[in-house]
Amino acid sequence: MWERTLQDLIRGLRANKKDEAKFISKAVDEIRNEIKGEDMELKAGAVLKLTYLDMLGYDMGWASFHVVEVMSSARNHLKSVGYLAAAQSFEEDTDVLMLTTNLLKKDLASTPADIAVTLNGVANFVTPDLARDLSPELIAMLNHSRPHIRKRAILALYKVLVKYPETSKHARTRLEEKLEDPDPGVVAATVNVLCELARYNPKDYLALAPQLFQLLTTSSNNWMLIKIIKLFGSLSPHEPRLVKKLQPPITDLISTTQAISLLYECVHTCIIGGMLQGPNGDSLARLCVSKLAAFVQDPDQNLKYIALLAMTKIVPSHPHLVAEYQDTILASVNDQDISIRMRALDLLSAMVDRENLQSIVQQVLSHLVPESSSILPTAAQSLAQHTVPTSPSGVVPYISPSQSPAYRLVLCQRILTMCSQSTYENVTNFEWYISVLVDLAHVANVDVGSEIRDQLVDVVGRVRAIRRYAVRLMYQLLSDDTLLRNAHEEGSCSEVLWAAAWICGEYCDELAEPQKLLPNLLQPDVASLSPEIIAVYIQAATKIFGSWAADVAQRWEDDDMLQVKSVVEQLTTRFSELVSSPHIEVQERAANSLQLFRFIQADLEAHRPKPPTTPGFATPDLDISAEPRFPKSLYLIQPLSATYELNPVATNAQASVPTPEGLDLDAWIVPPPREAVPEEPAERKVKKGKKGKAKEGAEGKIKRSKKKQQQDEMVYGDVLTPAEPEVETPEEIAARARRKAERLAQLKDDPYYIISDEPKPAEDDVDSIPVVRLEGLPPLSGPSLQALPALKVSSQQFSSTSYAIVRDGEMPEGAVAPAQSSAPTSGQHTPVPHESRTSTPSRLSPFPSYEVPDDVDRPSTPDPIKVTRVKKKGTGKKKRTPTATPTVET
Amino acid sequence: MIHAVLIFNTSGVPRLTKFYTPLQQSSQTLVQKIYSLIHNRPGGLCNFLDAPELEAFLGPKDEVGGRWQVVYRNYATLYFVFIVDGAESELGILDLIQVFVECLDRAFENVCELDLVFHFDEVHHILAEIIQGGLVLETNVEEIDACGGGVTPALPVLVVESTNVLVPIWLIL
Repeated sequence: MWERTLQDLIRGLRANKKDEAKFISKAVDEIRNEIKGEDMELKAGAVLKLTYLDMLGYDMGWASFHVVEVMSSARNHLKSVGYLAAAQSFEEDTDVLMLTTNLLKKDLASTPADIAVTLNGVANFVTPDLARDLSPELIAMLNHSRPHIRKRAILALYKVLVKYPETSKHARTRLEEKLEDPDPGVVAATVNVLCELARYNPKDYLALAPQLFQLLTTSSNNWMLIKIIKLFGSLSPHEPRLVKKLQPPITDLISTTQAISLLYECVHTCIIGGMLQGPNGDSLARLCVSKLAAFVQDPDQNLKYIALLAMTKIVPSHPHLVAEYQDTILASVNDQDISIRMRALDLLSAMVDRENLQSIVQQVLSHLVPESSSILPTAAQSLAQHTVPTSPSGVVPYISPSQSPAYRLVLCQRILTMCSQSTYENVTNFEWYISVLVDLAHVANVDVGSEIRDQLVDVVGRVRAIRRYAVRLMYQLLSDDTLLRNAHEEGSCSEVLWAAAWICGEYCDELAEPQKLLPNLLQPDVASLSPEIIAVYIQAATKIFGSWAADVAQRWEDDDMLQVKSVVEQLTTRFSELVSSPHIEVQERAANSLQLFRFIQADLEAHRPKPPTTPGFATPDLDISAEPRFPKSLYLIQPLSATYELNPVATNAQASVPTPEGLDLDAWIVPPPREAVPEEPAERKVKKGKKGKAKEGAEGKIKRSKKKQQQDEMVYGDVLTPAEPEVETPEEIAARARRKAERLAQLKDDPYYIISDEPKPAEDDVDSIPVVRLEGLPPLSGPSLQALPALKVSSQQFSSTSYAIVRDGEMPEGAVAPAQSSAPTSGQHTPVPHESRTSTPSRLSPFPSYEVPDDVDRPSTPDPIKVTRVKKKGTGKKKRTPTATPTVET
Repeated sequence: MIHAVLIFNTSGVPRLTKFYTPLQQSSQTLVQKIYSLIHNRPGGLCNFLDAPELEAFLGPKDEVGGRWQVVYRNYATLYFVFIVDGAESELGILDLIQVFVECLDRAFENVCELDLVFHFDEVHHILAEIIQGGLVLETNVEEIDACGGGVTPALPVLVVESTNVLVPIWLIL
């Protein structure tokens, strides 16, 4: 009978390239027959063929029992075939491994050739059970007469120690003895194993230091020296005396050795072993960095690569030494080799500080610029008056051989992390950063839109002084339909529009003519964006209208009516289309806004230039003569979004809200129905809080109900305002005013309440405003017109500004201060307003900076910037903008 | 420690795959991925493969292990790839690849790709003399050659141009 050998199989495979699957299935059928036979040669041949097919990706798990059969063959060349197949195909969970214990024990007691094969096999497929059972044999094997077997036994013992650590107590001393083995190969193998073991438990191996030190100073085997040096790299951080002892020989090696790999490992160990600290550290550090710098400039790319790798590790402790070579490193980012670029990028990210951030980021950004950089969108516009001078012609965008998406993504993310690390610690000019973000959105061409979006919103929220500039830039972004047109393409970064719309909506007060933005937000093309962005567009449009309408109302001319009507018409038309959107979020927001605008529309229709009382509407409180001349509904929307300012909230704010004294979180919030008895307002007041309790006696008319119920009251008494009686006697009113003052005093300490510490301009006591039935119009208690401009931040000289960053975010009042230590990045540094720079930071953008049209600007004189200081814990109040608060009940 | 040794040719066909620790991916996808990244690299670049895709592909290494390092060398029609962790010296591994190739060259007398194809078991045995279970066993070519022994001479077919063994040697051995 004719059998295929491995060679036949391979020849067949090469001859049947077209129909490989068919050929292999036929071959596997043959193998199945051969493997079941009695003939051991045939069986081994079949197993070998299977091993070959396994390498090509064909499973041989089904044959594992036959593999064991071949392993047990008495002939060494067949045995080694079996062990090879086992090493290649067995996994930890291969069940036949349980059957091999005795076989392995027997083979370990066999001829040296068999032992070698067995040890190699064990090192490959040992399981915890096998490790336990074989460890006595392996430990005994450490004293085998042949060095070759001793070496193999040592390496196999490492695997056993990994799989079954309990062996350690028997094996450790025997293993350490092998450091003094007469055969250098055995010593090298021992060092090798110790090096692996010591990485996980360096402290356990400190005792070996003298022996290792002896080897270090006497041996000339570079392979072993590398490992010893590596081993010391893991040991020395745990033993300061070792550092001192090692410095001389390592310095010696660095200056004398011819082997670059050994030299490199010495430098590397100096860095990671903490040998650069201490008295002699500085000169050693200088030596290391100069060696590495020589590598970076070496024509050999491999040396360049590892030098960058090591420099990244030295930067944290000796940034000034590496900074000397910044230009060389920057040049490496331009290297044609992506491996070197990656390392250089890593190094650069570690190097950034306040001084070099801009130049580094611009350099990295220039790599993202497409080769025909002339098609840059809005960036191609000329310079605006407030921007820093640029040197765009100086930086020629490097044409990279590998502009792979994955690499571009890494570049983009690197830029973002370099700038945003430690809450923008290194950013000195936020105008620059915002324009970098916009540049990035235009040139990235990979999917980083959402990261850019988050950064934009975060920066604008935290840095108050940047809002005006940001709004104008975002205005441009929204007016420019490049992003919109490409929104459906991959990597278009259309999420930036989310940020643009949100920022323009939230800070639309910064715009002189916000209504001009509405057509951009309402254009039908917006439908191509993702639903989340459309939803923000709706919201932004509503906010912008609110701000604009309030503005129009403030300087109302009857001629404005036409324009207002047409804008409202636009909005209602668009929103009625969006109401039928399939996306629930879009639908809901559109429906909400639509109703508001229908209401405004009705009011506008009803409005008459010389206003008598609006028909069908009664405001008993308001004097008719005080009726404003403009349609009151223009003030409907603005307070909805502009009443409170948005502040960044500290990440741990929620967790730090202390449980108020007396609040029982387990108590009923809504007591079981029987107990819910309506109570008198007076009683309610008294039970409100700690202070109220003190007054209890004085008031004297409290009927104490069950204690439990009282607690319940304390829970929601603060929150719910009881329905006031229709008519109040003067005493009652006085009492009410007093209680109100009390309550305000209490609320000052209450983390759940946001109250203004500024005196309110008008006594707009919500309680005193009668609740009216609404038919056409909301009642207005006369908008406080002069309050509006207070919101506006006026323009300033940007280039010489220092920015205050709200790093921490707001913390609830009375927060327990646990977080300071646990949140090291955000909690620690108080943002000292950086000293103003008189020198204008150089602008290295490869593109001209964004021009912000002047006409968008509000015609106002420069005022000092309003800056949000860091809210330390304990200032939980938010600024309340004293705008009119019409009570609208719908 | 050395986690894998791969040999594949310039078309991406594996000639030897040896894994010392189980990896997340199947050996085929790993070979294909590394091949696609290496194959695009022009000559003269460094011998360390470092790419954003690779980091995501190999997955994170545990803290002590340092980062994965893919070291490769190209000889004629073959790529020799070692995947190692931070316990190995990068330049040392480059030399180890050289040692491996020299041993193959001695065993097969002017080794060529076809030798590896038809004697893949022998290649495994030679590799087992250099590395056992992911740790370096022997680096001396003479020693390895003495232990390996017994290799059938190469088939007298189609010798691919001589292997490019004249590359810088970092170590004075």
